Amino acid sequence: MSQWLNHVLERASTVDDWLSPVRAQALDTLKQQQWPTRRTEAWRYTSLHPVADLELKSSTGNATAEAPVIEGLNSLDLVFVDGQLSTDISKLKLPEGITISELSAPSEPAEAIFAQVKPSRHLFGLVNDVLAQQGVVIDIAAGAKVEQPIRIVNFASAGIESHQRTLVRVGENAQATIIEHGSGSGNSLNTVFAEYDIAEKARLEHYRFALHEGEAIHIGGSHFKLHDHARLNSTLIGYGSQLTRLDVDIEHAGEHAFAKFNNVYLLAPRQHFDLHSTIEHASPNGTTEENARGIIGDRAKAVFNGRIHIHRHAQKTLAELNNRNLLLTRGAQINTKPELEIYADDVQCAHGATVAEIDEEALYYMLTRGIDRQQALVMLNFGFVQEMVFQMPNKALADWLQPILKTRFESMMEKQ
Amino acid sequence: MLSIKDLHARVEETTILKGLNLEIKPGEVHAIMGPNGAGKSTLGYVLSGRDGYEVESGSVEMDGKDLLDMEVEERAQAGIFLAFQYPVEIPGVSNMEFMKESVNAMREAHGESALSSAEFLKKAKEACKQVELPLDFLKRGVNEGFSGGEKKRNEIMQMIMLEPKIAILDESDSGLDVDALQVVAKGVNSQRDGKRSFIVVTHYQRLLDYIEPDYVHILSKGKIVKSGGPELAKEVEASGYAWLAEAEGADA
Amino acid sequence: MSEQIDQALARKYDAGFISEIESETFPIGLDEDVIARLSAIKGEPEWMLEWRLKAYRTWLKMEEPDWAHVDYPKVDYQSISYYSAPKSMKDKPKSLDEVDPELLRTYEKLGIPLHEQEMLAGVAVDAVFDSVSVVTTFREKLEEAGVIFCPISEALHKYPDLVKKYLGTVVPRGDNFFAALNSAVFTDGSFVYIPKGVRCPMELSTYFRINEQNTGQFERTLIVAEEGSHVSYLEGCTAPQRDENQLHAAVVELVALDDAEIKYSTVQNWYPGDENGKGGIYNFVTKRGLCEKNAKISWTQVETGSAVTWKYPSCILKGDNSVGEFYSVALTRGRQQADTGTKMIHLGKNTKSTIISKGISAGRSNNAYRGLVRMGPGAEGARNFTECDSLLIGDQCGAHTFPYIESSNPTAIVEHEATTSKVSDDQLFLCRQRGLDPEKAVSMIVNGFCKEVFRELPMEFAVEAGKLLEISLEGSVG
Repeated sequence: MSQWLNHVLERASTVDDWLSPVRAQALDTLKQQQWPTRRTEAWRYTSLHPVADLELKSSTGNATAEAPVIEGLNSLDLVFVDGQLSTDISKLKLPEGITISELSAPSEPAEAIFAQVKPSRHLFGLVNDVLAQQGVVIDIAAGAKVEQPIRIVNFASAGIESHQRTLVRVGENAQATIIEHGSGSGNSLNTVFAEYDIAEKARLEHYRFALHEGEAIHIGGSHFKLHDHARLNSTLIGYGSQLTRLDVDIEHAGEHAFAKFNNVYLLAPRQHFDLHSTIEHASPNGTTEENARGIIGDRAKAVFNGRIHIHRHAQKTLAELNNRNLLLTRGAQINTKPELEIYADDVQCAHGATVAEIDEEALYYMLTRGIDRQQALVMLNFGFVQEMVFQMPNKALADWLQPILKTRFESMMEKQ
Repeated sequence: MLSIKDLHARVEETTILKGLNLEIKPGEVHAIMGPNGAGKSTLGYVLSGRDGYEVESGSVEMDGKDLLDMEVEERAQAGIFLAFQYPVEIPGVSNMEFMKESVNAMREAHGESALSSAEFLKKAKEACKQVELPLDFLKRGVNEGFSGGEKKRNEIMQMIMLEPKIAILDESDSGLDVDALQVVAKGVNSQRDGKRSFIVVTHYQRLLDYIEPDYVHILSKGKIVKSGGPELAKEVEASGYAWLAEAEGADA
Repeated sequence: MSEQIDQALARKYDAGFISEIESETFPIGLDEDVIARLSAIKGEPEWMLEWRLKAYRTWLKMEEPDWAHVDYPKVDYQSISYYSAPKSMKDKPKSLDEVDPELLRTYEKLGIPLHEQEMLAGVAVDAVFDSVSVVTTFREKLEEAGVIFCPISEALHKYPDLVKKYLGTVVPRGDNFFAALNSAVFTDGSFVYIPKGVRCPMELSTYFRINEQNTGQFERTLIVAEEGSHVSYLEGCTAPQRDENQLHAAVVELVALDDAEIKYSTVQNWYPGDENGKGGIYNFVTKRGLCEKNAKISWTQVETGSAVTWKYPSCILKGDNSVGEFYSVALTRGRQQADTGTKMIHLGKNTKSTIISKGISAGRSNNAYRGLVRMGPGAEGARNFTECDSLLIGDQCGAHTFPYIESSNPTAIVEHEATTSKVSDDQLFLCRQRGLDPEKAVSMIVNGFCKEVFRELPMEFAVEAGKLLEISLEGSVG
C-alpha cells in the first residue's frame, strides 16, 4: 500500500469544480486499483518506492518562469509552473483556426474533456484525472493548417507535487504541431498527461521532451486516437531521472491511419527511464512504424515495453517496431520487451530488439583510424540516436536538440 | 479442346475481360499480345481459377467440361498449366519436394501410381537439362533467391514435369536477355508434340521469333480485336499498338 | 519404429526391488502420509523421502501461477490419486477392437505398425522374453560404454549417490509451483548418466526404458553428462496416447559438465480433447539445463495437442563459452492454448544462445511465445540471437510474442526478431495451380516454415514431425 496514494484519495474528494462528475468516475476506478508491486506486470522493472510514501507540498501558484528559447521555433508557448498556468491566454495572439481554453473554465460537457482517449488502466493517469486542476484544451478547427507550433511547457520545482493536463482536438483535415516540453530537477513529483483526438484526414506533428533529471519524479502519458486517414508523426526524447515513466498509447480507431513514432532516451548515470508504448490496431489498413533507441549510462536503468495489439478484424495492418540499445558500462541495465498480440491473419507485423549490436564494417573502419573499440562502438551508437533527431520534421527543433544531446552524451561517456 | 465464349470477368470492382472469345484445338500455339492493361494476365488467372477474379458471364469449356465449375487444383489436374509472370517464393520447401508432390498429385488424379524417388529424380534431371538449370537447384527453396531468369526457367521446367494439355505462359519472356529467352523458347518448343496446346502471352514480338505461333491475337480493352497468323506479330512490331486506338474508335 | 516395438515387447520386467503392496492404487488426496507411502512402495532411501517432504511443505506455501494468456479450470489437487499400480492384464483391452476407433484412425494415418498400435493403446500384450533379443544387445552396448540409462526409481536403488548429487541442482524443489509438486510426488522417469569422455553410442529414447503404466503424470528425468561426454535423448512420440490423467507436471534436469553436450529432442502429440477442448491434457513442464565451461545443451521440440501447455525449456549458461539452443515448433488448433518459450540465462563470459521459435495457430487457438534472455553482469562478450515467427491459419486464431530481454553487460549482444504472417494467397495459388489440394498445399508450406527447426531433430523424429504436422493441420484449412 501507499501513504501517498491514500493522501491522493483524500485530496481528490476535496476537489470541486465543473469536472467533478467525471472526476468522480475516475476516483471510483482509482479506489479499486492495487498499489503496484514488482509482480504487477506494468511496473515489473520500475520500483515505485520513491513515490509510495512521498509527501510534498502543492504549488502556491505564485511562481512564474520563462519558456526556454529555441531559436527559429517561434512557438506559441503555454507555460505551466508546478501545474499552474502562468501564461495569460487572453494576451496571446492565436493563429487562425486555433481555440485555446483553460481546463478550469467550463466550456462544454465534462465528459468531452476527460479520458476520451487515455485508457483507464494507467494508475497515474487516474491520479491526474482526479487532481489536475489546471490545463489546456486546444482545438484546431476543421481544415485549418496551423504552421506555428504550439508548445506546452511544464516546469517542476523542487519540493512540490503537481499535476497538469492537456487535451488537443485536431479537426477534420486540419494540421498542427504540438510540443510538450517538460523539465525539473529537484525532488518534485509532476504528472503530465496529454490526450490527442485526431479527426479524419487530419495531421499532427508531435513532440514530447521529458528532460527531467536528478531527483525529479515525472510520470505521464501522451495518448493518441487516430480516425480514418489520420496521420501522426511523434518524437519523444527522454533523459531519465530518479524516476521517469511515460505511457504512450496510439489507437487506430479509424481505417487507413498512419503513425510514426520515434523515441530516444539518453540516460545519465543512475537515472531511471521507463517507456511503455501500446499501439492498438483496432481497425483495418492501419500502419505504424515505431523506432526506439537508447543509450544507457553508468548504473542507469532503462525499461522499454513496446506493445502492438492487432485486433481481430484489423486486417491489412502493417506494424513495425524496433528497439536498439547500448549500455555504456557494466552497471547500466536495460529491460526491453517488445510484445505482439495478434488476432488477425492478413497482416504484416514485425518487431526487433537489440542490445549492443555492431555494424562491423563501420567499426573496423574506425579501429583502423586509431579509435579504441569501446569508443568506436559508442560513437556509432550515438550516430543511430542522432538519426532519430534528424528525422524530426521540425528543423528548428532538430537543430536545437542535436548539440544538447551530443553534449549530454559526451558527459555520459566521461563519467564511465 | 479449349473453348472460351463471350467471357466477361472482373477483378475487385473493375471488369477487365469484356467478351473474349477463343477456340484452341489440340497442338495449336496461340499468341496473345496487347498493350498493358488489356487483360492479358487476367485471362491466365481466370482460366486457372485464381481467387479474386470473378467471371461475370460467358463460358469456358475444356474437352466438353465446364472449366469454370472446377477448383484450382481440379483445373490443374485436368491439364491447365499457368507459368507465372511473377513466381512467388516458398521458403523452406525445396523445389524437389514441391515438384514431387505436384507430379504425384497429378498422377493420382489420373489414376496412376506415384513415381518412386529414383524415377522422379530421373525425370527431374532431364527437365533441368532442358532448361539449363543445374541439378542442385532442386535442393533450393521454391524460387528462393532466384534471379528473374532462373524463375522463368523454373516455370518451364515445371511445365515439362507436369505435361499439361494446355500451357498458359504469362509473359515468360519479360525481363529476360536474349540467351535466357532462347533457353525458355527451347524448353517450350521441346514440348510441342502436336497434342499439347499453348497460349503464349507476351507484350513484345521477340519471343515469337523463337516460339512460332499458329495464331496471333491482339487483346485490347478486354476483347480480342484482331486475329491472324504469325505475320500479325510482325505488324505489331513494326507499328506498335497505336493503331488500336483507331480500330477501337471505329468500334465504339 | 517397429524395431523399437519389438524391443519394448521383449523387455524384462525387473521386479527385484518392488515390494508386495505394489499392486495397490492410492485413494485420492495428498498429504505427508501419501508421500511416505509412495516412497515406501518404491523402497526409496531415507534422504529421498525427506527431500520429497521438504518439497511438499514448500508447495503448500506456494500459489498456482496465473498467466494472462492461458485459461483453464483450476485443478483440485486433492481429487487426484498419486499412485496407481500398473494395470493388471485382465483390465486392459484385449485387442484393438476394444479401442477407441478415432485413436486407431490416427495410428493408421501415421503409418504405425499393428504391434505398436497395440502398445500405445494399452492392449494387454504378453511379454515374450528372448535372451538374444535386440533390447538385450542394446543394453549390452550401453553397459560396455559405461552409460547408465534406467528408470529413476531403479537409479535410486543402484546409484543413489549419483542421483543425490545432482537431483534438484538445476531445478530446485521450490523453483515453481509445479516443480514443487513434482518434487514431492514424482513417480518415475529417466535417469541417464554418461561417464567422462564417452560419446553415447546411440540415441536414447524413452521406449527403451522400462515403462511403468501411468507414470506419465509426474515424471522426473535427470540426465548427467560428465566432462567431455555427448548424448542425444528423444522424448515422446507422434501418436496420441490414451491417458486418463489430465494434469501433467513433469520436471527434466540436464547437467552438462565441462565440454559436455546434451541434445534433448521432443516430439509430442498430446490428446487434444474433443472439439470443445474438453478432456484435453494440461501440460505443465519445467525443463532446465545447466552448462559448465564449454558445454552445450540443445532443446528441440515439436509439440501439438494438449489443451493447455505451459513449458519453458531453459538453459543456465554458467560456464564460460557455454552454448544454449532452443528450436521449437508449437502448433495449436481447435481451442488449444499454448504459452511456451525458453529462458536463456547468460552468466559466464562468451556464452552464446540461439532461439528459433515457430508458432502455428489455426482454428480458434492462441499460441504465445514467452521468452527471457538475461545477460548477467558477468556475461562479457556474450551473444544471443532470437527469431520468433508466427504463422496464422485462418482469422479466428491468435499469435503472440512476449520476449523479455534483460541486460546488464555492455559487451553482451542481444538480437531479437519476430514476424507474424499467414500463408500467402500467392503461395497457396501456386501450389494449387500445380495440382495440390489446399490442405496439402498448406501442410507443405507450413512444413517449409518449420524447416529450420526440423533440421535440428534426429532424422526419424524429423520425419515423424512432418507427418504430425500434416495430420494436425487436417480440417484446419478452408
